[in-house]
Amino acid sequence: MRRFGECTALAGADLTARQGEILVLLGPNGAGKTTLLRALAGRTRLDAGSIRIGGGAPDERTVRRRVGFVPQAIALWGHLPVRTNLEILGRLAGLEGPGIAAAVTDALAWSGLAERASEPVERLSGGMQRRINIAAGTLHRPDLLLLDEPAVGLDPLSRQAIHRVLEGLRDRGMGLILTTHDLVEAEALADRVAVLAGGVVRAADTIPILVGRLFGADQEVLLMLAAEPAPALRDFLRTTLFSPTNEDRIWVGRLRGGLEQLPGLRSQLIQAGADIDELRVRQPGLHGVFVELTGQVPQ
Amino acid sequence: MTLAMTLAILRAAFLLLLRDRGALLMALVVPVVFFMIFAEIFATAAGDQLQLRIAIVDEVNSDESTRLLAALTAEPAIRPVPAELTRESARDQVRRGTADVGLIIRADGENLATASGLAAPPLLLLVDPSRSVTATVLTGHLQRAYFKALPDLAVGRVAELIGTEFTTFTPDQQAEIAAGLRGLRAGAGTERPAGWTFDELVERDNVAGQNAALNNVAYYAGAVAFMFLLFAAAQSALGILDDQEAGILDRIAAGPGGIDVVVNGRFLFIVLQGLVQTCLIFGVAWLAYGVDLPGNFGPWAMISVSSAVLAAGLGLLLVTACQTRAQAQVLPTVFILIMSAIGGSMVPRFFMPHWLQQLGWATPNTWALEAYSGVFWRSEPALQLVPICFSLFGIGIAALGLSHWFGRRLVRD
Repeated sequence: MRRFGECTALAGADLTARQGEILVLLGPNGAGKTTLLRALAGRTRLDAGSIRIGGGAPDERTVRRRVGFVPQAIALWGHLPVRTNLEILGRLAGLEGPGIAAAVTDALAWSGLAERASEPVERLSGGMQRRINIAAGTLHRPDLLLLDEPAVGLDPLSRQAIHRVLEGLRDRGMGLILTTHDLVEAEALADRVAVLAGGVVRAADTIPILVGRLFGADQEVLLMLAAEPAPALRDFLRTTLFSPTNEDRIWVGRLRGGLEQLPGLRSQLIQAGADIDELRVRQPGLHGVFVELTGQVPQ
Repeated sequence: MTLAMTLAILRAAFLLLLRDRGALLMALVVPVVFFMIFAEIFATAAGDQLQLRIAIVDEVNSDESTRLLAALTAEPAIRPVPAELTRESARDQVRRGTADVGLIIRADGENLATASGLAAPPLLLLVDPSRSVTATVLTGHLQRAYFKALPDLAVGRVAELIGTEFTTFTPDQQAEIAAGLRGLRAGAGTERPAGWTFDELVERDNVAGQNAALNNVAYYAGAVAFMFLLFAAAQSALGILDDQEAGILDRIAAGPGGIDVVVNGRFLFIVLQGLVQTCLIFGVAWLAYGVDLPGNFGPWAMISVSSAVLAAGLGLLLVTACQTRAQAQVLPTVFILIMSAIGGSMVPRFFMPHWLQQLGWATPNTWALEAYSGVFWRSEPALQLVPICFSLFGIGIAALGLSHWFGRRLVRD
C-alpha cells in the first residue's frame, strides 16, 4: 500500500512476474500503474506490504543490479552523443572496465542505432530516442526490466519498432513489466496483463483466461445512448447486466444466448426509454476486460 | 481596443509577478537590501563616519602624549584596540587586520614638544599599504587632536618657527621678516629643512612588504574568485535539477549507486571547476599584475582547495534545498549577492561600519578573503591559516552531507 496524503495510490497488488515474459500493467489514469512500477524499482517506499525481487527488497543494492528501470521521459543527456550517454549510464548501472564497451556495442546493435552512435541524442527522432532510452536501462543485462509507458507519443511505425525491441529482450530471457494505457499495445505485447483500478490489481493473467473468466460464453455489448439516461433507465440497465462507464452515455453489457437474442434486447431497451445511438456486439477481448474491471472506457 | 488589450497584458504580467515569489524577491526586495547595505557602507566610508580601529602604543607617557591621545580617542571615529600593546604587537594587529592602522608615540623619536624634523618624528603610523587611506584619515584626526589638545605646542612651534626663521621684530627684523615671507612665498611647496609642517611629526611605516596597488590586486583576486566560485557552484548544481526534470535522476537513483553518486559526482565536478576558476584568476593576477603566486603557492593552494570545497558544498545545498528549478535560480543568487556584499567581495571590509564588519564573519566570503589576505598581504605562515582553511573545508563537507539529505528528498515519492 502507498498513500500520498489523503490519496491512496496503491491499495492492493498481489502480483508475480516471471523471467522471459512481458507483464503489462493496464489501467486508466490514476489507477496506480506508475506507483506500482516505481515501487518495484525501489523509487517509492510502500506504507504497507512488501515486494521481493529474486528474494530481496527493491532498494537493496544487489537487487538494483538485477533490475533495469526505463522512465517515461527520455532520461538521457540530450547534448551528449548516444555512445557517451550509454557509457556513463552503463558505469552508473554498475558495469566496469571492458564490460562497458561490450554492453554499449551490444545495446547499439540490437536497438539498431550503431550508425548514429556518435550523434547527440537530441538530434535523433522520437522513436530512436525511445529505443536508446530503453537500451540505457538494459546495459547491465538485468533480469527484470521495468518500463513506464515505453512507446508513449510515438507514431505507429516507431511504436512497432519499440515493440520488436521489447520482444527481443523478452526472447533473451529478460522479464519485462511495463505500463500502458494503450489496449492495442497491451494486446500486441503482453504475455500476461494486470488490470489496475483505484490502486488495486483487479485481475492478472493471460488475456484469453481473463476473457474466459469474465465473459464465459457471453458476448460483449457496447451500448451508446444519444442522451444521458434517466434514473429509471439506469436502474433497468443495471438489472440487465449492463455496467456504467466513465462516460454517462456509454454502457457495457453481456449478451447471453447468442446473436439471436440481440433484437429482443434492443426492444427491451427501447421500451425502457433508451434513445440508442449505437448497439454493438463483439467477441469479448481486452477492451471488455478493461471495461468490466475498471468501469471505464479506454481512451 | 488596443489600449484595453495592452492593459490586459499589463494585468497578466502583474498577476504573474505576484505569483512568482522569486521574481518578486529579485524585483522588489533584493534591490532594497542591496541599497541598504551599500548605503550603510558608503555613508560610513565617505567622510567623518569612517571608524578606525587603531592599535595605540604610548612609549613616552609624557604630559603631551597623554593629552594628545586623550583628544584623539575622544573623536567618535576613533576606536582604540582594547589591549595593552607593544610596538611589535601593534604591528602584528595591523598586519593581521584586527586593527586598521597603528599609532606609536615613539620613545626613539624626537620629543613631541620640541620636534624639529631633523631626527625621527615622534609619531609613527603603522600602515597596511592596501589600506593606506586609513593612515591618511588618521593623520587628519591626529592633526585636529594636536591643535585642539596641544595648542601651546602648536603656537610654540610657530614661535620657534618665527624665532628660527625670522629672528626678532626690530625694524631691521621687520625687513627681514618681509624678506623671509617673500622667501616663504617663493619656496611654497618645496621641502623645508626643519620644523615646518605637521607631517614632519609623523612617519609612516608599512607593515607589509608589497605596495598598495599589488595588495589591492591580490585582495580583489580573492574577492572576485570567491564570489564567482559561489555563483559557478550554484549554477553547476542546477544541473541536478535539470537531470531531475529530464528523468535522468530517477533512472540513476533506481540504479545501484542511488542518488548519492549523483551528489558526490556533482560535488567533485564543482570543486574541480572552482579550482580551475581560481587558478585562472590568480594566474592572471600573477602574470599580468605581479602578485607573488609562486612564492605563496602552498598556502594559496590550501585556501583555494578549501574555498572550492566550501563553495561546492554550499552551492549544492542551496540548490537541492529548493523545491523547484525556478526557486533554485533565484534564491542562491540572492543569497550569494548578499553574502558577497556583506562579506567584502564587493567593497573592502574596512570601509564598512563596525557592525557590518562583525556580521561579515557570518559569511564564508570574509573567511576566505581574510585567508587570502593572510597569504598575500601579511605573509602569514601556512600553519596560521590552518584553522580558517579547516573551517571552510569542514563547512563545505557538512553542506555536502546536508545536500545528500535534500537530494534524497528530491527523488523521493
